[in-house]
Amino acid sequence: MKKYILGRVFRAIIAVFVVTSIAILMVYTMIPKDNVFRDDTGQMSKLNGNPDGMADFKNNKWEQLGYLDFQRQAEMCQSSSDYNACMLIEEEPYVDEYGQDMVEYHYSDVAQEVIDQYTADGYTVSYYTKGGFYAVREYSGLEIIANFYKNFIDIDHPWKVEDPDNPEMERSVYFATDYNGVPAIKCSGCEHNYLLYFDGSFPFIHQNFIGIDFGSSYPTYQNSSTLDVINQNQGSLVSEERTLPNGNTAKTAENYHTCVYKQTSALDSRDLNKFPDNYATCKTYYQDPSMVTISYMFGIISLILAYLIAIPAGVSMARNKGKIQDKIGTVYINIMISLPSLAFIYFMKLIGFNFGLPDKFPIFGFNDLRSYILPVIILALLSTSSVMIWMRRYMVDQSNADYVKFARAKGLSQREIFRKHILKNAIIPIVNGIPSSIILCISGSVITETVFAVPGMGKMLPDAINSFNNNMVITLTFIFTGLSIFSILIGDLLMTVVDPRIQLTAKGGND
Amino acid sequence: MTADNRFEFVKMDETASEHIAAPRYSYWRSVFRKFFSSKVVILMLVIALAITLFSFIQPLFSKFDPTVAQDILDRSKRFLPPSLEYPFGTDHVGTNMFDAVWASCGNSLSIALIATAITTVLGVIVGAFWGFSKKLDKIMIEVYNVVANIPFTLVVMVLMYVIGRGKWQLIFALSCTSWLSTAYFIRVQVMIIRDREYNLASKCLGTKTSTIISHNIMPYLISIIVTSIARDIPNFISYEVFLSFIGVGLDYREPSLGRMVQDYVGYMQTPSAAHLFWIPVCLCALISISLYIVGQALADASDPRTHMI
Repeated sequence: MKKYILGRVFRAIIAVFVVTSIAILMVYTMIPKDNVFRDDTGQMSKLNGNPDGMADFKNNKWEQLGYLDFQRQAEMCQSSSDYNACMLIEEEPYVDEYGQDMVEYHYSDVAQEVIDQYTADGYTVSYYTKGGFYAVREYSGLEIIANFYKNFIDIDHPWKVEDPDNPEMERSVYFATDYNGVPAIKCSGCEHNYLLYFDGSFPFIHQNFIGIDFGSSYPTYQNSSTLDVINQNQGSLVSEERTLPNGNTAKTAENYHTCVYKQTSALDSRDLNKFPDNYATCKTYYQDPSMVTISYMFGIISLILAYLIAIPAGVSMARNKGKIQDKIGTVYINIMISLPSLAFIYFMKLIGFNFGLPDKFPIFGFNDLRSYILPVIILALLSTSSVMIWMRRYMVDQSNADYVKFARAKGLSQREIFRKHILKNAIIPIVNGIPSSIILCISGSVITETVFAVPGMGKMLPDAINSFNNNMVITLTFIFTGLSIFSILIGDLLMTVVDPRIQLTAKGGND
Repeated sequence: MTADNRFEFVKMDETASEHIAAPRYSYWRSVFRKFFSSKVVILMLVIALAITLFSFIQPLFSKFDPTVAQDILDRSKRFLPPSLEYPFGTDHVGTNMFDAVWASCGNSLSIALIATAITTVLGVIVGAFWGFSKKLDKIMIEVYNVVANIPFTLVVMVLMYVIGRGKWQLIFALSCTSWLSTAYFIRVQVMIIRDREYNLASKCLGTKTSTIISHNIMPYLISIIVTSIARDIPNFISYEVFLSFIGVGLDYREPSLGRMVQDYVGYMQTPSAAHLFWIPVCLCALISISLYIVGQALADASDPRTHMI
């Protein structure tokens, strides 16, 4: 059994990475890379009419996103024999045939050598219109995948920070109390100030030893990592009276547990006032729960509601097989399966609207119960049909079994047989699906969240796709694939716990 | 002259004595008798056929093109209520909704039908070999375990993102991985049916392999194939509507029910123009319910086990 589980876990991990790699390969090689700028209209219009700035910005961004290797003149000249001669640009003014004043740029022989060297290495060397040159080389598919996983697992250690302006920084990990007096593991020289800390928000213990880095989000949610976008709380800032790291108190929204290192050259006077050390880039407290939390909340509540409706309904259909309950139930199941969920959601929305419920989540927002009623009911009803159909099927199958006939012969009542004998056996296959339903609540529901404008995870994938947010698409692919593969594994294992007769290994349980 | 003269000797018929008396059985006749025995199913068949035919024939005459709005400047043609000239009314740019709805419905239907055809053909062929070959089984089962565990929505959305929007891209994205589940479905059934005792008995009695396949195996497989088709068509219609609605499916150049729902969702609560939104929604509901019920009934009818009287 242990061997089997290990084998499945191993194959599951391989599967997740294979799927993610295929997604990376497809996203990075098949989508024109200019598309990533389509939604960044602010930056694009700012750079319009400035071709050098545009080329610089685009190549820089592409390098950040992992498309290509971008070398500016200064970086290229590092490899030359004479740096100053390489950087030299001679300007020669002349007048072209239309009478316009033009400038021709000449580069030294050393520079020409460097350019030839880079061209030979597979780079494309281009020239700025205002003088100077740069080289770019697009990564091959394998390099893109390798680069993605190179930075994938991010282990924080005391020698991580490199700051030339702060050479005497102490490098150590130590136990300490945080600014509230709660014990924590702190670090000097790491990226994060707190490696382990406790606070009042779920899951109460937080660690920063190991992080997973999927890259940063662009063009939507700029300058934050993709995981932060789905994990971080949203809405407006919560400013409260808090203790600052230097011991003073002030009204602020910053969460000092999350502070990361800021280079000494970037520190300003406000940072110097507030922080005793260089850990001055902090995340902030927001009012509303994160996308994951919202989707999870909706998912779990609707899941409980769905099982509360579907299991009794399925049982009653099986008990009254062929009678009116069964017929009504069958019509309901057929309609729910065949009706496109979009149509169902809109029918329900119309009914709810006539009862005075809001048709969009943000109308009343997070703190009003009315915002939740309609999406939860819709999500619950959408998942009832499959539970009902299987519940009925398993119970009908079981009701012809020998142990049921024996129970009837003993004189047990029909009600007792159904509740105590058949239900327990029939619910086993249902149990198999429960972990995946619970875990997959995280991924949210795309349509319901889109229709009700709920700021959750489900809306994230279509939004990321429509704004060409490549890293977000890959992050979500990784998360959704991983969750579903592992939840199916957990479902299978749970089934063996509920029913010891079930063996996952083919040979029988000797190992 | 004896009484025996009134009788005459009949020549002995060798073949007749070999003939085993059994009721005449024709597979397809039994299928149709069973299928047409329900009035609800006949009604649904009529609805499904009417919608399908109309949505393929009407656009041939209307030549509807969503990129052309010839009445866009004619204010008198905007938001007309349903009338004889405009049975479904007009929208904010004076589009004749009757033409638009049927062109969209035809397009959505053809996407679902083509995707189902690809899925079924590929799935049945691969599934049949998969069921017979143990070597292939070892590889395919690993591939299936990986692919089946990835959410289908994710596959379709990422594929559409990568290969771009359009009718054929959508068909590719829909059928790219779904054929694998049909193949798996067929594989399991082939494995079950292949080793049944009656097939072994037929083989021992010297029946040709082609006869075993056509008489013993095919009737069972047909009902399974029909079940999978009955599940796929409404599913694919729902998917097209869903993807176009969230903006990942077809773009504005192609008419589709999903795009119509998305375009007119703003009028849902406007009493004078609500029909713009509800007509495509109801049509999409009607067509997928009728196709599903017809498919289910056909699947039941084509299962030879239901033919016993």
